[in-house]
Amino acid sequence: MNRSVRRSLIGMLAGAAASVVLVATLGHPLVSVVLGIAVGVAYSASLDPTRGAYVDNLMSGGALGVPLWGLVSVIAIPLFSNRMPEWSAEQIRMHFPSLVGWVVYGAALGLLSQGLSDLAAKMLGPEVAPKSPLSSEKTRVVILGGGFAGMRTAECLEQQFRSNASLSITLVSETNALLFTPMLAEVAGSSLEPSHISTPLRSSLHRTEFIRGRVAEIDLAGRRVILDSDAAAGDAGQRRGIPYDHLVFALGAVSNYLGMANLEKYSFNFKTLLDAIRIRNHVIEMFERADREADPSRRKALLTFVIAGGGFAGVELAGALNDYAHGILADYPKLLKEELSIVLVHSRDRILPELSESLGRYAQKRMEDRGVIFRLGTRLTDAHPGAVVLSDGEIRAETLVWTAGTAPNPLVKSLPLEKDKRGALIVDRSLQVQGHPNLWAVGDCAAVTDAKTEKPCPPTAQFALREAQVLAKNIRAQVDGRPLQKFHFDSLGALCVVGHQTACAELTVPFSRGRSMRFSGLLAWLMWRGIYLAKLPGLERKIRVLMDWTVELFFPRDIVQTIELK
Amino acid sequence: MSQSHASMAVQMDTRTGATFRIEPLLGLCIGALGGALQGSLLASSLVQTILCGGLFGLAFGLFFAKRATSPGAGLIWGLAFALLMWIVFPAGILPMLAGASSRVMLSDARERFPQLVAFVLCLGMPVGTTLGIWGGLHSKVAQAKFSWGRAIVAGGFAGTVGGLIFSRWVSSGDYFPLLAGYGQLTVSRSAIVILHFGVALLIGVTFGLLFQRDVRGYGSCMGWGLGYAIFWWFLGQLTLLPLAAHRPLDWSADQGAAVFGSLVGHILYGLILGVTYATLDRFWVRLFIQSDPLNREVEGAGVHILRSLGWGAAAGLVGGIIASPILLATGVLPRVAGLATSFSGVRGILIHLLVSALIGMTYGLLFRNEASSLGLGVAWGWLFGLIWWYAGPMTLLPLLQTGVCDWSTDAASALLPSLMGHLIYGAATALTFMVLERRYTRWLLLDPRIAAREARKVRPVGTPAPALWLFAMGLGVLLPILLG
Repeated sequence: MNRSVRRSLIGMLAGAAASVVLVATLGHPLVSVVLGIAVGVAYSASLDPTRGAYVDNLMSGGALGVPLWGLVSVIAIPLFSNRMPEWSAEQIRMHFPSLVGWVVYGAALGLLSQGLSDLAAKMLGPEVAPKSPLSSEKTRVVILGGGFAGMRTAECLEQQFRSNASLSITLVSETNALLFTPMLAEVAGSSLEPSHISTPLRSSLHRTEFIRGRVAEIDLAGRRVILDSDAAAGDAGQRRGIPYDHLVFALGAVSNYLGMANLEKYSFNFKTLLDAIRIRNHVIEMFERADREADPSRRKALLTFVIAGGGFAGVELAGALNDYAHGILADYPKLLKEELSIVLVHSRDRILPELSESLGRYAQKRMEDRGVIFRLGTRLTDAHPGAVVLSDGEIRAETLVWTAGTAPNPLVKSLPLEKDKRGALIVDRSLQVQGHPNLWAVGDCAAVTDAKTEKPCPPTAQFALREAQVLAKNIRAQVDGRPLQKFHFDSLGALCVVGHQTACAELTVPFSRGRSMRFSGLLAWLMWRGIYLAKLPGLERKIRVLMDWTVELFFPRDIVQTIELK
Repeated sequence: MSQSHASMAVQMDTRTGATFRIEPLLGLCIGALGGALQGSLLASSLVQTILCGGLFGLAFGLFFAKRATSPGAGLIWGLAFALLMWIVFPAGILPMLAGASSRVMLSDARERFPQLVAFVLCLGMPVGTTLGIWGGLHSKVAQAKFSWGRAIVAGGFAGTVGGLIFSRWVSSGDYFPLLAGYGQLTVSRSAIVILHFGVALLIGVTFGLLFQRDVRGYGSCMGWGLGYAIFWWFLGQLTLLPLAAHRPLDWSADQGAAVFGSLVGHILYGLILGVTYATLDRFWVRLFIQSDPLNREVEGAGVHILRSLGWGAAAGLVGGIIASPILLATGVLPRVAGLATSFSGVRGILIHLLVSALIGMTYGLLFRNEASSLGLGVAWGWLFGLIWWYAGPMTLLPLLQTGVCDWSTDAASALLPSLMGHLIYGAATALTFMVLERRYTRWLLLDPRIAAREARKVRPVGTPAPALWLFAMGLGVLLPILLG
């Protein structure tokens, strides 16, 4: 029997039986019985039955009688009798017998409904619980990648489908945390603790199954994602397959070394948390080695740090390393400031091409003032141990960080799907991979074209997050058989920190057809910190980062080596 | 507090048959002794009172012993059972069988007020507490760990803080609500102040000792504080203090009416005691229990509190809209709006709704995680409405408007109609809050970790909450009616 029907019947019977007391005290037999039944049904329906809870129901019902007395005897009955409720205390006191009646009725109702509930359980068995939502799953969405795009897609799908369990969501990622990349340079510069800018995916997602693993291949025909075997776990050779109905590519990008093998071999990458930790520890290692090095030229090479790429990542890293390296000089009294060089190599004639020229020039000037050396219009052609080869010469340096180029994840390359010249999956205006209604792509691994401007969307986190929102809506729409939404987003602007309490910001003015406002210096730096702190996922992370920043104001940055570098 | 886990739900069905035989016998004996005491104090027929007391104890031992798992739980169940028995028999069935009219029935109930006090103090308290002690000692089910230090420190501090709310009268030396039953105090003022805070400290410490396992959140703590304060009014003002003053016991309704102001004072004291105890207890739990990685939850409390405040505001708004016709009809709304002479529509309603939303936020903050179903949520809502009747129109409103609060029976009588509005407000607020909360958490429950956490947070069946509702609701409404 349906749970609601069963509870209603129990409530009706119990209420009718208990209404004998109401008849005796209220004096209107029909009204009393109807009231008794109505309250009985409401009482039974609103409480989850527990076997043998007689005294609990006795007391609950009795307590219920007190407000019911006020509602019904003092207010409702006079109103329905075309009289105004009697509001004076003396008149209310005249209802005292009905107060007793309601309390006794409530107590009897509680006892009887419990008794009938137990009887029904004995004769008919336990209540039939509503069908478990998990058993009726139909549509399986698998998201590949746990970066901004993947994580946001999962979050939006959770919001779109809420308690609708007809959809299962699985997220596969090589890392178990979302890295907040805008603050990555601060980890390399030892301003922030590494884990403070990473949010665990498992904690943030509620109904999404999270699988940490590397995708080996995708069986598009069989609609299965094949995961690499986990040799460390002893299941080498055993590959796990994950079936899907919708597959979302949010794999992000990897560094693109433009075919220069030595660069890949001798440079540091700057994409992951581990990269940032390695760079920080390497910088400390260089200082330690330089401290015991007697040869001045060798010492200078140890203290020369070359960053390739003048985009956001390269500039922010150069600024952070410059501050850090100059700051820790105080701990190495044998080393001279003149021996320290932070060199930024960029192939164009100005840095930060994403920002307007004036801001790019401002950033360069401020960084030069703080000690960063720029080699603009220069290409990096090769690298050897202890040397970086440029198109116009060579720099003796033990450290090279590569931020100059990215390419979509190599997995995308292996797929028989249409790609642009960068190697990104071409998607239509609704973010569906062309010709494949069950394949979707967002973020850096997708070639997205804005439906309104018809311009390609830049591979930035800002766009990835909005693409993910539209994608989740479109999956919902496709499941529901509704038309899909086309992607359009106007950039909100960009911010870049260039050094201690100095930044550049260019923010789009809303509804102004692309006009923007430019900020620089301390104000822009405060905006940068405020905006990115607000965007950092999780309250706990925000507090930790805020504490790191506060500590940094009063104490020097740490020079403890946390990993051993060979 | 948060440690009173679902084990209690299991506990009620797992007590052994061996103890089942002893408890009714124990109840019978204590009940008979209580009946004898009642008979001697009220100068009634000893045989009759012993018989009634014995039956009371026997019934309690048979049906309630499973719930009396601690002295505090036993006390609350015992008090509620005593009240119910008084309503059913001396105040209900007996006059009805005699065919009494409304007026006669009320005056009859007033005359039987001493029996109510006797039921509470001679039957409910000793039987409930004794079986609670017995249950606590012989329970085979693992209960949440009891911390004596936490109970005494948090309870004592909360009691003292609660006592401070009367500091205005205490400093001027003209009124001591916790000592009102003593009569005229002839000792020095400093001794009276010490005595006042001594009583406050005693109530606080015993509160912590009795109810540590039962109270879970701020809201339920306030409910327990309310119930315990009413009990202390019976025990302290009507019984212990007159005895200490070497005066004969007077449990009549007239004496109750004479110390009615002290009842309101006790109730406010109980609310402060409850909320302070909950704050300290939560702080203690957070520092020493929840900070343990073994007890870690998936997500922190901060976000949930903010959401609860939002839902509480919306729920309070709905409650305010629903209750406004009654508050308007009873003349309370204009006073809430701060307009003593005439009610100007828009301004008054806006202020009323604003106040409703703010009070609703307190519901969201205090009463989240108390109920597992709509029915239980509404029960807490009634109690919330009752609490605000005592705290709002009885105390804060006159205090803010005139600087003086009138706790007399006349003032309570004048405000009695608005009690209905407050009860409706409480229920509507609680119902709306639960609907909003459920709407949000329903999808989160697909996460098994969240589902497990929510299940742990919700009060299980078997705690004395239903008994508390009856005792606090029943007497909170009944006493102004009987004594006014």
